[in-house]
Amino acid sequence: MGSTSTKIKLRTSDQKVFEVEKAVAVHVIHVHSVSGDILSKILDYCKKHVNSAAGKEDISPEELYEWDANFVKVDQNTLFDLILAANCLKIESLLDLTCQTEIRTTFNIKNDYTIEAEEAVRRENKWAFDMLGV
Amino acid sequence: MAEQMSDDDERQQSPPSDLDFTSNKARTCIVTGSVSGHTEFQSLYPDQVLENVLENVLHFLTSRRDRNSASLVCKSWYRVEALTRSELFIGNCYAVSPARATARFTRVRALHLKGRPRFADFNLMPPDWGAHFNPWVLAFAKACPWLEKVYLKRMSVTDDDLATLAESFLGFKELVLVCCDGFGTSGLAIFVSKCRQLKVLDLIESEVSDDETDWISCFPEGESHLESLIFDCVECPINFEALERLVARSPSLKKLRLNRYVSIGQLYRLMVQAPQLTHLGTGSFSPSEVAGQGDQEPDYVTAFAACKSLVCLSGFREIIPDYLPAIYPICANLTSLNFSYANITAEQLKPIISNCHKLQVFWVLDSICDEGLQAVAATCKELRELRVFPVDAREDSDGPVSEVGFQAISEGCRKLQSILYFCQRMTNAAVIAMSRNCPDLVVFRLCIMGRHRPDHVTGEPMDDGFGAIVMNCKKLTRLAVSGLLTDKAFDYIGRYGKLVRTLSVAFAGDSDMALKYVLEGCPQLQKLEIRDSPFGDAALCSGLHHYYNMRFLWMSSCRLTHQGCQQIARAMPRLVVEVIRSADEEEVYDRVQTLYMYRSLEGPRNDAPKFVTIL
Repeated sequence: MGSTSTKIKLRTSDQKVFEVEKAVAVHVIHVHSVSGDILSKILDYCKKHVNSAAGKEDISPEELYEWDANFVKVDQNTLFDLILAANCLKIESLLDLTCQTEIRTTFNIKNDYTIEAEEAVRRENKWAFDMLGV
Repeated sequence: MAEQMSDDDERQQSPPSDLDFTSNKARTCIVTGSVSGHTEFQSLYPDQVLENVLENVLHFLTSRRDRNSASLVCKSWYRVEALTRSELFIGNCYAVSPARATARFTRVRALHLKGRPRFADFNLMPPDWGAHFNPWVLAFAKACPWLEKVYLKRMSVTDDDLATLAESFLGFKELVLVCCDGFGTSGLAIFVSKCRQLKVLDLIESEVSDDETDWISCFPEGESHLESLIFDCVECPINFEALERLVARSPSLKKLRLNRYVSIGQLYRLMVQAPQLTHLGTGSFSPSEVAGQGDQEPDYVTAFAACKSLVCLSGFREIIPDYLPAIYPICANLTSLNFSYANITAEQLKPIISNCHKLQVFWVLDSICDEGLQAVAATCKELRELRVFPVDAREDSDGPVSEVGFQAISEGCRKLQSILYFCQRMTNAAVIAMSRNCPDLVVFRLCIMGRHRPDHVTGEPMDDGFGAIVMNCKKLTRLAVSGLLTDKAFDYIGRYGKLVRTLSVAFAGDSDMALKYVLEGCPQLQKLEIRDSPFGDAALCSGLHHYYNMRFLWMSSCRLTHQGCQQIARAMPRLVVEVIRSADEEEVYDRVQTLYMYRSLEGPRNDAPKFVTIL
């Protein structure tokens, strides 16, 4: 109860089974529409972010930012699949990351935000103007 | 970026300090160095074209989530998103300052602003706590001339604010005040006289002081643009002749909700003038005292029959049930019926409700008893929202509704999405039945009046019932619990209530574990309001990882101490931690009466009254 060492099992559309720590997979999950490859990438993302937030991994915000930037350096199809899966699994931070990347890629836009500035905008959007979800 | 400032300086002031766009820590830049130079201009031009195109495109973007993504793409998209944002939602007026909001969004047309926390409605907080509209109206008057719609909930609005609103925004169209206070009929008079383009004036559950000003007469002469006029909460007499003339010259009027000073005879005269109404609040629904015995009664039935577009009916503030048959002609069309002021019996309800096949929203008093609810269940198969209010809200009275009516509703109204149910007795079995019969439930608020009431039949706590709700209702986002509840109920909520955003708790739980389960288990939790429950500092600390994700936490009459709250304030600098005393209490005791805390971009507010201490 509330313990982070509980493990849960996920089964994907191509019948692969993954075992993950409960803290990594917070929600009730329907993964029948997500393939093994994509789920594997998503689990990497979740593990990285949960571990960094819980202090289990020694990684600075800049390094995490770089890791995220590399994470989304994939082909268009994979990026689409990640967006759909992140949406289906309701992983908001990944959804935002992939959508913004998709927009930037499609319109060939360079991200000129600093980490601090981007974080400040996120915070303002969410805290002041309820701009995440409803 | 300096070149952007020259385009924008007439449009906005310098951005707030967090968002320092002149930082030299930029990782990638399209343009570097100082402004000027041929190469700068060449690389600027395509961006400028893109920005103009973008502005036209982003006008169509309405979803808040999409706008969030757009603003984070890059700085130019941030600016354009801000310029094209026409509706602003601010869920907590103290989370952001008017200056910051108006600096970023200069072309806002509609502002939604919420102030006090909901538990303030129940006298759990002294008046004059805050949430003043004044700094907002002044800031918007200066910066956002296009503002035409304002929706306020639980804010304090003064007569001067209403005057400012009317005088500062030429095309002002809509004002909706829900659970607001601080103004009176003289403020309304000024407002309506100056807003010549007014389409909507909705006063809902607001406190309006009677300055004995005839505000209805102050609407400008000539054809009015009014589409909606709602004033059923205004507790003062109105000039009926002026109202009748106003309705006669408002061809677009669709929504009219009258207060209890309008008699049924007067209602008739208005209905004859406005058969095009879609929403009607009937006022008192009884004759005025002046009407003599021998007077010819108007043909109410025909008047209602003529209103072929009527879908939403409310009012009945001082109902004489003999007049109820007048509404028979429109029952079959009704999608919303509010009888929450009508003290009627099951027998009086049945002939009405048996015709309401299309009803989706029904608010009623428990005077209809379980039998009345069974009648609702038998007919209203399209019901989405049900609210059953107590005639007698005292804790120890005999309740006319129980688990019997509750279960009947669950069996008959399978499409139910939202329920608010006050009762004196309930069983786990009935709640479990509803969890199975109504899987679409999004809002579940069960108020078993009387403290710590167990299952009426088994004597057990109500844990299993609420557990079934969170387990089976997979779309549930709002939950209010009551009755005898142990920590187990909260364990269920933490484990299964993954979509819960709003949770209300009163007189429940055994220990700190209960609150821990919820704070650790519910990732979507935004609003948590708790009263009279045994949760202390340790429980409060268990939520440190989550408080920045929440809009607010309210805890009154729990077991918090100043030290505990101080710890939170120190650990989370962007949280405003307010300790609220009752007005006459001195700041001596270590025990905290009320804690209200919320994330904010601005730090402690400067308008806090004496009985509030910000840690």
